Amino acid sequence: MKDDSVNHARAARDFLQDHAHASWHDSAIWWVRHKRDVQAAQLPEWEGLRELARQIKAHTLSHLDVYLQEFEAKARANGVMVHWAADAAEHNRIVHGILAAHSVKKLVKSKSMLTEECGLNPYLETRGIEVIDTDLGERIVQLRHEAPSHIVMPAIHLKKEQIGELFQRELGTAAGNNDPTYLTHAARTNLREHFLSADAGLTGVNFAIAETGAVVVCTNEGNADLGAALPPLHIASMGLEKVIPKLEHLSVFTRLLARSAIGSPTTTYTSHFERARPGGEMHIVIVDNGRSDILGRADFYESLRCIRCGACMNTCPVYRRSSGFSYSYIIPGPIGSTLGPSRDIKKHASMAFACTTCGSCNNVCPVKIPLADQLVAQRARAFDAGAMAKGKKGGVLALRTLLGHPKLFELAGGAMRKIVPILPERLNSAIPYSRPGRELPTMPAQSFKQWWQQNRKKP
Amino acid sequence: MSRDAILARIRTARPPATALPDIHALPFVQYDDRYAAFAGLIANLGGQALQLAENQTIRQAVAAHFPAHGRLVDLTQAGHEEADSPHAWHDVDVAIVPGQLAVAENAAVWVSTPGNRYRSLYFLTQKLVLVVPRAQLVDTMRDAYRHIRIEEHGFGCFISGSSRTADIEQSLVMGAHGAMAALVLFV
Ligand code: SF4
Repeated sequence: MKDDSVNHARAARDFLQDHAHASWHDSAIWWVRHKRDVQAAQLPEWEGLRELARQIKAHTLSHLDVYLQEFEAKARANGVMVHWAADAAEHNRIVHGILAAHSVKKLVKSKSMLTEECGLNPYLETRGIEVIDTDLGERIVQLRHEAPSHIVMPAIHLKKEQIGELFQRELGTAAGNNDPTYLTHAARTNLREHFLSADAGLTGVNFAIAETGAVVVCTNEGNADLGAALPPLHIASMGLEKVIPKLEHLSVFTRLLARSAIGSPTTTYTSHFERARPGGEMHIVIVDNGRSDILGRADFYESLRCIRCGACMNTCPVYRRSSGFSYSYIIPGPIGSTLGPSRDIKKHASMAFACTTCGSCNNVCPVKIPLADQLVAQRARAFDAGAMAKGKKGGVLALRTLLGHPKLFELAGGAMRKIVPILPERLNSAIPYSRPGRELPTMPAQSFKQWWQQNRKKP
Repeated sequence: MSRDAILARIRTARPPATALPDIHALPFVQYDDRYAAFAGLIANLGGQALQLAENQTIRQAVAAHFPAHGRLVDLTQAGHEEADSPHAWHDVDVAIVPGQLAVAENAAVWVSTPGNRYRSLYFLTQKLVLVVPRAQLVDTMRDAYRHIRIEEHGFGCFISGSSRTADIEQSLVMGAHGAMAALVLFV
């Protein structure tokens, strides 16, 4: 679980202390964004696909009750047990209830941001169930007792030396061997044992198909499949916004997801689970936990279209330079910065300001969520809720006064043009990542108004 | 039961109705040479595509590709061995599995076998061989979804190359949990 008292600006400053690492983080993630661009450029229909995805999701959200009921009826007809959870606590209770009824001692889990949101792992662990996260990145952060720092690349904040050390301690790998292939295969061997001895598997859900009652899970590692195919019990946890009307709509979403997420034409495995394996049992838990509130907010409901590809964080200049741990909500980056404040504006107000409003997220988002616009709207909510940092609030109020009084504005502009060039931070701001706050622009000799009067006012 | 309360909340909250688009109205990419597109892609995804030669059997092609191997299970042969639990495949080295259809745009093969019995085999085997009729190679996922029916077997999976991860410093490693190597044999 994450510490939700984190303040973005302060945490980002700490992250940037290690210049070399911060710079690596920035360029490693930018590389993923670049790979996404290469994939997008190969499909002439890319922009048309994004528009289709937006329309399918928009339609589904406007008929969400209808599609959820259709999905439930179909899943039940397939012999799958369907549960509904109003909030995180109910989700955890339901999952624990199913596990307890089957006397489960060990649960293998594949990646699921929803169970992170619900705090499922600690809930089950205190009740005596061993929980093994099986996605390699999630396993790494689980062994480090951390939360994921990215929704697709959970361990992107770590260097291989840190992982080598961790595996030496936890899995007995050779000291000093930090080769990614060696470490990955050591984890493979270790996790195989867990897959073969687990009593139950829990997966997330990428898409739920109303027409057939199937859930679709996309992974590159194959961990969701082993977890669902080996143990006799498979539980799939899904947010209620995951439903789509028909099987054919996957032709749009499966084409966008991996290309946007990791710059790959598809994930290795796109698995469609409709019935339990022979001799097994399958359960689906549909979770609300605040989603129906967001659905009712005109400014924010579009965030429910999200397919959790992570492209918005990969492109975000602020995310890349501050890392996932600088965000108080479990989901970082642009999408987290609207979902977190929607959930609790007081707790997550600082996230709404972790944005330059450059709008790059809007342009890469495969379902065209107007993320940057939502963040601006969240800032307004932060102001109204009295959750803005004091200095920032003062600044906003001062600006309001200035913009409302043209004479005062001119006076202040003149003063700034004189003072800024001689500020001490301006004089030693050459080192990247060293400057506190925002860089001030080079000051012009005169204001635009003065320039206009000199150059354009002549008849 | 929270079900009815959740549905009631959605009914009051849901935004104004919008229409469902026709996904077939948009032209999707088409390939002049689907096989070349498929083979080119899978080479970067931890796999290889081969066309079965005339007079060559599937087993000969597999033996040529994976010369030394341990336990082999061949689901394309009648009378192949069965497992009484999904765990029983845990030591399989090479699995030969029929694939129903292949997709040129992403090197994926649709795998879904009767009775939903062999699911664990696709993911436990160290090396996976997928055997697909050449005539079943389509352009995009839209063409693929036109042909598949999940309800047939209750489970189906698109598999594209080998199991992989880049979770350690973005270095691509083949063989995360599933197959370490993949071969797609077109027949
Ligand atoms: S908001 Fe858009 S870009 Fe960001 S994770 Fe969701 S779908 Fe991807």
